Amino acid sequence: MTPETTWRLPPVWVLLVAVVLIVCAEVGGASMSRFKIELTRWARGTMLTRPAVHGLVGVRDVDERILDEALVKFDAGLRLFHMHAEGMGLVIIATTTVAATLVRTAPARPVLVSLLTVGGACYPLGYLLWAALIPYVGLERGKALAEWVVWIPFGGATIVALWWLTGVVALGLVRR
Amino acid sequence: MALGETGGAAMSQLRPSIARYATARVNANAPAHGLSGSAEYDDEVRGRAVYSVETGLSFFHLHAEGLGLILFFTSTLVASAVPWRRARAALYVLLTAGGLFPIGYLVYGAGALELGRDAGIELAERWVLTPLGGAAIAGLIALAVCLAVRSRHAAPARADVAPPP
Repeated sequence: MTPETTWRLPPVWVLLVAVVLIVCAEVGGASMSRFKIELTRWARGTMLTRPAVHGLVGVRDVDERILDEALVKFDAGLRLFHMHAEGMGLVIIATTTVAATLVRTAPARPVLVSLLTVGGACYPLGYLLWAALIPYVGLERGKALAEWVVWIPFGGATIVALWWLTGVVALGLVRR
Repeated sequence: MALGETGGAAMSQLRPSIARYATARVNANAPAHGLSGSAEYDDEVRGRAVYSVETGLSFFHLHAEGLGLILFFTSTLVASAVPWRRARAALYVLLTAGGLFPIGYLVYGAGALELGRDAGIELAERWVLTPLGGAAIAGLIALAVCLAVRSRHAAPARADVAPPP
């Protein structure tokens, strides 16, 4: 960026996605705190209706330990959604602003902006999906599903886009 | 931020490999970790060292994402709101050095493996985290001072040009 140039805004839909993501994160964080007991009760109840999925054997001492571990992960999934959605909303605004300003070639800019936005916005939803899946399909299967459906494709898109953007910025510095 | 994202992905996907590597490094640096030959005690030491590495990586991921954003927004603020050239240059240096702060957590993890948990953490804290974190704090305080000075200068100027009621 030359001294006389200034930041260019990314498209409005990108800013809307980022703001909606931050709103979802805030609402998620607030709901997590406000409805903690109800959420825990729902998750526990759902797990108890699927003993085979969670390896429950009917012995209280054993089952309580399994349920506790699953509930800790369920809570962690919700917390990680809150944290990542807040962070990725800001990451989308910052990185797409850099892309809109520094990537001048027409096909590259929209692709980069789309990758950063879609990847960044969908990635945190994986934590929500994971938390929602734990009571139904168990810890490991829930994690594997969230990984293959959300984290790997959308997280991968974000990583590829960020390194691409890094390359563009570095190339710009070298050429100056 | 690209490093932070990649570190987070690696931490998640390569967790077993990282734990295996960390355990192997602890075994290779047995004197630094004070391994005694007693299986129970040594397992506890290995567990603590592996936990330190995972903590270092996790903090690296978290801080790299966060400080990348802080650097982006604060340097934009410097470019927009600090009119003095030398002050701007000094602020860029301090804030950029502060932006490297998360690397300290990689040193933290690697140091805990190579030098032993306490010595490695002390090395990272003393030589990387404290100076770079100090630079970030100094940069942010200096930016706040610059903004305060500028707003004091701007207030009378605004009063001079304010239209009569």
